[in-house]
Amino acid sequence: MTQIKKSLPYIIAVVGAFIAAGIFIAAIQYNPFEAYKTLITTSFRTPNGFIQTLMKWVPLTLTALAFTVPLSSGKYNIGAEGQFLAGAIGATTVGILLADLPPALLIPLVIIAGIITGALWGLISAWLLYQFNINEILSTVLLNFISFQLVDYVATGPWRDPSAGAPTTIAIGQNGYLPMLIKNPPLSIGVILMILVAIGIYFYTNKTTSGYELVATGANPRAAKVHGIDTRKMFLLSMVIGAAAAGLAGAMEVSGVQHRLIEGIHSNFATLGLIIGLISRGKNQAVPFVAFFIAVLEVGASAMQRTMMIPSQVVLIVEALIVIFILLSDLIKRRQK
Amino acid sequence: MTGIETFLVEFLKLTFLSMVPFVLAGQGTMLGGRTGVFNVAQEGIMLTGASVGFLVGYTSGSVFVGAIAAMLVGGLFGLILAYFTTTLKMDQFVVGLALFFVGTGLSTLLPKLVLGITLTPPLIPTLKNIPVPLLSKIPVLGPILFNQNVLVYISVLLSILLWYLLFKTNLGLRLRSVGENPKAADSLGISVNRYRYLTTIIGGMLIGLAGAYLPMVYTGTFTELMTKGRGWIVIALTFFGGWSPLIILLGSIFFAGIEVLSYRMQVGGSVVPFQFLNMLPYIGTIIIMIFTFGKSRVPAFLGQNYDRERRTL
Repeated sequence: MTQIKKSLPYIIAVVGAFIAAGIFIAAIQYNPFEAYKTLITTSFRTPNGFIQTLMKWVPLTLTALAFTVPLSSGKYNIGAEGQFLAGAIGATTVGILLADLPPALLIPLVIIAGIITGALWGLISAWLLYQFNINEILSTVLLNFISFQLVDYVATGPWRDPSAGAPTTIAIGQNGYLPMLIKNPPLSIGVILMILVAIGIYFYTNKTTSGYELVATGANPRAAKVHGIDTRKMFLLSMVIGAAAAGLAGAMEVSGVQHRLIEGIHSNFATLGLIIGLISRGKNQAVPFVAFFIAVLEVGASAMQRTMMIPSQVVLIVEALIVIFILLSDLIKRRQK
Repeated sequence: MTGIETFLVEFLKLTFLSMVPFVLAGQGTMLGGRTGVFNVAQEGIMLTGASVGFLVGYTSGSVFVGAIAAMLVGGLFGLILAYFTTTLKMDQFVVGLALFFVGTGLSTLLPKLVLGITLTPPLIPTLKNIPVPLLSKIPVLGPILFNQNVLVYISVLLSILLWYLLFKTNLGLRLRSVGENPKAADSLGISVNRYRYLTTIIGGMLIGLAGAYLPMVYTGTFTELMTKGRGWIVIALTFFGGWSPLIILLGSIFFAGIEVLSYRMQVGGSVVPFQFLNMLPYIGTIIIMIFTFGKSRVPAFLGQNYDRERRTL
């Protein structure tokens, strides 16, 4: 009963956001009921739709964790985009350079390379924060813009695939492809890896001492410091863990989906990751569930644009409204106390 | 004039042309920050300003009307930010980030709704240069400083005006006191909320106009994500400028200089791959932050909401 009572404000917030966005959709001369039907059901009507949803679920969960883990210590990582791309670059580099290794070696190497380069990209911001007290929002965002240029450089360099239209590298060695769970439509084991990572992060933040210190830092940095927690180290650690998750997402997008580095491979994952993180109110354990819900909306949104000619950005308005309404519902709860 | 001289004149002229979005958005950020409201939605507000400025400019046939519309939308974002943070006391970063998303989404959605999905977006006429009589005839300095579009002049005058207002008037003193110690300001009968609303709304208007400058001067049309991180760089700029209008003006010239340099070097042909030249503004910003963060004086209550009913600050 209390569980229902506790989740009621969120349900009202989500429903409220859909109603408000529905009014907007009606105002721009489309049928909101038709639109929502497409939005919600596309993922569950066909196997293809469902697989597509799972494929989006993987990077969305990981980029959202890249935001919420640092947030657990009170830091804002807006750089999942750059960390994702750094991971994708690292994975591609290893996948191309060591293409001849057997799968048992190459697959782990590609994935680990992505995790490490992603973590290193995040470490730059974490170190700037640690050493010079530079606001992490700014440094992570600026590093995103740098990573776009880096991807363009790699994808148009010696590894460029001249037959592709957009800047794209040649494929990584086939031995580096993530094994498939389902052949057609394709779904790699990335989805299992992602679930393991999400569980691992939940376990770390909720069941270990270091994770407890991290959360304590976020809850009240001053109190944490008084009790002997090295808060600055916690900031650094949480940023790097988050960045590693984003790097993993980038590596799996290369190794499990695209098999090459493509300009724009990051899609809108990182932005959605932030939205998912905000809707989850920073709770790591809520992230996979919210991410699945957003993946459903995203798959529905592209179907909506295809069949009904409603710009897919409409769904961004739904998502932004959910964020705002959930923030408002927090507020109402605070007032009631 | 020799080759190097023409190059320098051209370089400086472009730098002053490119400083405008930095100046406008920088002063807008500074204004809100001076009363304690730390806006981090610049990138989104600028994008919406660019989108609305272009669309209204195109449909009304007047760039001026477009600029006004961009300011109004920017002001609306400021109002929302002020309401959520000052009245509802919600976290400034979270609200700012949410507004950044809304602004980014809105900026790409609006052109699709107004123009439909087109391959050839329409163009608006870009702002013309207005030579200042007599002054524009001065050799070297004339073409650099006094043959620019009207917003270049306005942004310089605005910076000087804001400096005067903040540091030489009673209003400015009260305004700054709200950001330094709202409790003390409140006890002196200064309405903390009114000042926070006022500065955040005016700040939003300036940031919206900064966005509209991009289609009005550079491209004549709106392209997705055309601000290219300028909104974020502006935040670094205000820290660099110590939240002080005149130093922000100088900083804007500097940041614009890096931007023009990275662009010029590509046109001029260089051995460094162009992608690395494109990184210059962002890398430059990070390096500047290393040297100025922590050293620059920040309003004491920057980013913190004020609740008069709370006992402790």
